[in-house]
Amino acid sequence: MQGLTEILILPLIGAVTIGIFKSVVPRRLAGIWASVLVLASFGLAVAADMHLGGLAPGHREISVTLFNWVTGFGPPIAWNLYLDPLSGIWLLIITGVGGLIHVYANGYMADDSDQGRFFGYFNLFIFSMLLLVLAGNLLILLIGWGLVGLASYLLIGFWYRRPSAVRAAKKALVMNTVGDVGMLIGLALLYVRYHAVTYSALFRAFSHATPGAPFFVWVAVLFYIGAMAKSAQFPLSGWLVDAMEGPTPVSALIHAATMVTAGVYLVARLYPLLRLAPGVAYAVAAIGTFTAIYAASAAFFQQDIKKVLAYSTLSQLGYMFLGVGVGAYTAGVFHFMTHAFFKACLFLAAGSVIHALGGEQDLSQMGGLYKKMPWTMLSFLAATLAISGIPPFAGFYSKEAILGQAFNSGHDLLWIVGVVTAGMTSFYMFRLFFLTFFGSPKNPQLYAHAHEAPAVMTVPVMALGVLSVIGGFFGPWLNRWLAPAFAAYPGAPHAALETGPIGGTLLAVGLAVVALVVAYALYIRRETPARAGIDSWPGRWMLAAYGLDTGWRYVAVVPWMAAGTWVRRQMDRGILIAVVAVANGIWLWAEDLRPIQSGYVRRYALSIMVGLAVVLAYSLVKA
Amino acid sequence: MLWIGLLGIPLVGALVVLLLSDRAAKLGAAVVAALEVAAFAALLGGVAPTLNLAWIPAWGVRLHFTADGLALFLLGLTAVMTLVAICASNVQYGRAYFGWILFMEFASMGLFGAVDLFLFYIFWEVVLIPIFFLLTGWSGAKGRAAGLKWLIMNLFGSLFMLIGVVAVAVIHNQTTGSLSFEISQLTNLPVSSLAAPWLFGVFALAFAIKAPLWPFHGWMPDAYGEAPAPVTALLAGVLSKAGVFGFLRVLLPILGAELHAYQTGLMIWVAVSLVYGALMALRQTDMKMVSAYASLSHLSMIALGIFSLTAAGILGATFLMVAHGLMVGSLFLILGVVEERTGSREFTGLMGLNQGAPRLATYFLFFALATLGLPGLPGFAGEYMIMQGLVVHEVGFAVVAGIVLIVAAWYMLRLFQGIMQGRPDHPAVVDMNAGQVAWLVPLAILVAVIGVWPAGITGHAVPSLYHAVHFAVAQGGIR
Repeated sequence: MQGLTEILILPLIGAVTIGIFKSVVPRRLAGIWASVLVLASFGLAVAADMHLGGLAPGHREISVTLFNWVTGFGPPIAWNLYLDPLSGIWLLIITGVGGLIHVYANGYMADDSDQGRFFGYFNLFIFSMLLLVLAGNLLILLIGWGLVGLASYLLIGFWYRRPSAVRAAKKALVMNTVGDVGMLIGLALLYVRYHAVTYSALFRAFSHATPGAPFFVWVAVLFYIGAMAKSAQFPLSGWLVDAMEGPTPVSALIHAATMVTAGVYLVARLYPLLRLAPGVAYAVAAIGTFTAIYAASAAFFQQDIKKVLAYSTLSQLGYMFLGVGVGAYTAGVFHFMTHAFFKACLFLAAGSVIHALGGEQDLSQMGGLYKKMPWTMLSFLAATLAISGIPPFAGFYSKEAILGQAFNSGHDLLWIVGVVTAGMTSFYMFRLFFLTFFGSPKNPQLYAHAHEAPAVMTVPVMALGVLSVIGGFFGPWLNRWLAPAFAAYPGAPHAALETGPIGGTLLAVGLAVVALVVAYALYIRRETPARAGIDSWPGRWMLAAYGLDTGWRYVAVVPWMAAGTWVRRQMDRGILIAVVAVANGIWLWAEDLRPIQSGYVRRYALSIMVGLAVVLAYSLVKA
Repeated sequence: MLWIGLLGIPLVGALVVLLLSDRAAKLGAAVVAALEVAAFAALLGGVAPTLNLAWIPAWGVRLHFTADGLALFLLGLTAVMTLVAICASNVQYGRAYFGWILFMEFASMGLFGAVDLFLFYIFWEVVLIPIFFLLTGWSGAKGRAAGLKWLIMNLFGSLFMLIGVVAVAVIHNQTTGSLSFEISQLTNLPVSSLAAPWLFGVFALAFAIKAPLWPFHGWMPDAYGEAPAPVTALLAGVLSKAGVFGFLRVLLPILGAELHAYQTGLMIWVAVSLVYGALMALRQTDMKMVSAYASLSHLSMIALGIFSLTAAGILGATFLMVAHGLMVGSLFLILGVVEERTGSREFTGLMGLNQGAPRLATYFLFFALATLGLPGLPGFAGEYMIMQGLVVHEVGFAVVAGIVLIVAAWYMLRLFQGIMQGRPDHPAVVDMNAGQVAWLVPLAILVAVIGVWPAGITGHAVPSLYHAVHFAVAQGGIR
């Protein structure tokens, strides 16, 4: 009715039509078609949200049921679509920021011969992500969840001739499957208990439950595993860094602005469940905070422009989880929104730089680009200020809201770690900014050929740059918009935005400014090269993200491989030998009975019949 | 009357094809198989038709076939996959090959439709024959050995099953005084506690060999590996279902009450089989073997759903039987194309066929994703329902199944990426031709539709599924 199906279906139409016709139409057309559809979807999303806003505050929800997904064992599970203020926000960001990135990709992918495939996957991703947030029950959510994982897999491995891209794609899908399985089991447990998977039915039931029962702890943990995998929380984080193997618009859209925030959406969506498992809520916040500082420190010595941004994404996701974990739901969503603006801007601007340098991503080959790419530089600067939490840029407001509420709710330790991380963020982001755009050009040849990106790329980047400047002022509006959504069921008493103590804010901003100055002194005044420090042991250690990948390798990959080898070498061979031995035994025995064994199958069949007849006759006579 | 068509079309068709020239045989067989698909489509329209004629009155054996919810979609699977397998076959195989394929279709239709235990047994044995000849006549170097292994192992199992069939009838005779093999009459069989495990064991052995489940899969590597791709597709896609189908058709109604006593043991067994298949699939370098052991793992998943003795688990198993048949059958056919193009079944990491054969890569990926259980595709739907059944019984089994799903993603991607991605080893590889795309597209659409709308199958299957396993329901066994 209110256009939910249409919002959803437009990008799907794009993916299917591009898939079918990509080899028969001019290749530029795919990008235009894909972008138009996503922007049309954005228009419908705005209309749907306005319609939602027109409803009374407590009744802002639209439900559409399409048809049954499965029936037969208890109440049917249907294709339920559902729009409320929370999914409304995601809808706008997915189609809005997603639309801008689609437009940008028209420029970025212009020289790629496989453009059609790229935009087909890109539209498939938008469809999947929309399905994820428009789902009205956990099962449909899980379908969207799996499909975004697929789109991510396809796009990470888009350049499939590169072995590293292929490996990264596989890693991403397998790690995401870990999360899918967690959610699948959690979903099954909920269905057994409540015979329903729709949000409304489950949340109504949760309202009457007492917190702390083991059942809810288990279910919350299982869903959190899903959120961890999708949002790359430690220790399921390694895949996101490798995911930078995909084209840069992919990193901007999927691995920064939208998909990786699905975990935040899930936790915010399931706030009535989190009420019932307070320990899990604390774990969400604590692991989030740890991920934030872990990733921030790992970003210090990175040499690849996209890897710095990847670690910063991990770190910012950690903040979002800190927010939703301490019950600051609006703050978490707010940070999702501002992060979508500034991180998409950073990635797209970085993409313009990479494009201008003919594919070079190494920071030690850059420098001085502000002269060549002023608009890109300015947008990048705005986004860097935003992520560093410098007022009045967007990130300041949302990060402060999270940290303030962590403090107010008595999570002192998490708060102080968050404040320190804010300072670290400012340092590594300005290191990145200075090394890229200032100082002397390190590679004169690349520098000579560098040029500002075409308008199709700079306009989206600048639009996101502007949003990075003003995004913070959306806070009060967001507060009013989300308040009824988080008041619908018990579990989110502190969902609204709060301000922390002024001293805390000053401390965080002060640290960020000091870090900025230090980065300035190191990388502009003293022209420290990008590679400085990476040979020291902390440098090596941080560059490798503290050996997380190696750890996974020995904990998960090697044992399975070894078990597989053992089974194949020892057990299966044994079974096959046994079969041959038994067969030979029968054969030898058969040799003795040769006169009655002709070797013809029909004769065997006849024997079976005769034998059967004899046995039956005997039993008949006996009866 | 429909049943006469369903059985008669492939049987008569097989004979007709034998009369054709070798060159016309493929076309003729395809026409017959298409007619069979049409006959199946007619089935979908009305009420489940049955054929019920006296056959051997002295023993109470009847020619009784039905297309209830349990059988209906397996009949459809047989019809569709046979047609596709014929289309995918090399025309040079000649008329005898196509005749055997159609005969196999006849035997499978009879097997899935039979509700008389004796009749079921007859078709159980008849199915062995076409496979044996296809394996020995049209396979690779080890085809003869593969055929013999297939025959000996399966005969070994089914001879024990014969004892079971007779014993069941005798026990029924002793209690009621009448002789019947009608499965619906044999339910609620008062089996002594001494005999029950033996009776259960002889049936389970035959079913486990046919599926196959670990550790009764000794015949599988040679047969799946050596057979031509269309025959492997039918073996893994259609006939492997006979094994797990047997549990539902025969064991649950007749010995359902006994099943509860061994439920945990059975679930542990198939869980081991599940993990075993996944581990084996992870370490193969022969592309057909990855798929073969993956299939073993999925069949174990189906069996796990059945032994959960829950409505969700059994429904999921029924659904996954059909879905798995379509998915794994298609996968074997695609692997057949790959083998034909590269001349080898070995894959040695990143062969890069995608570059030269993008269509082949796309369809391969689609069916690989469906097989690994991507949400939105039918593998996921079946696995979800089975999981739903498992958590009722014991969450531990759901966790094991979940871990196997993760490994499944790993081994399927290893297979897909190993063949398709990376730098091209075979730059001159030829992509799929229009004829090959023509049979893959309908399959892909079918798979997508039942993935998005599993209710289309479960809705149809449920009423008669409950009827088919009503004994277990009556015992409160199905939750």
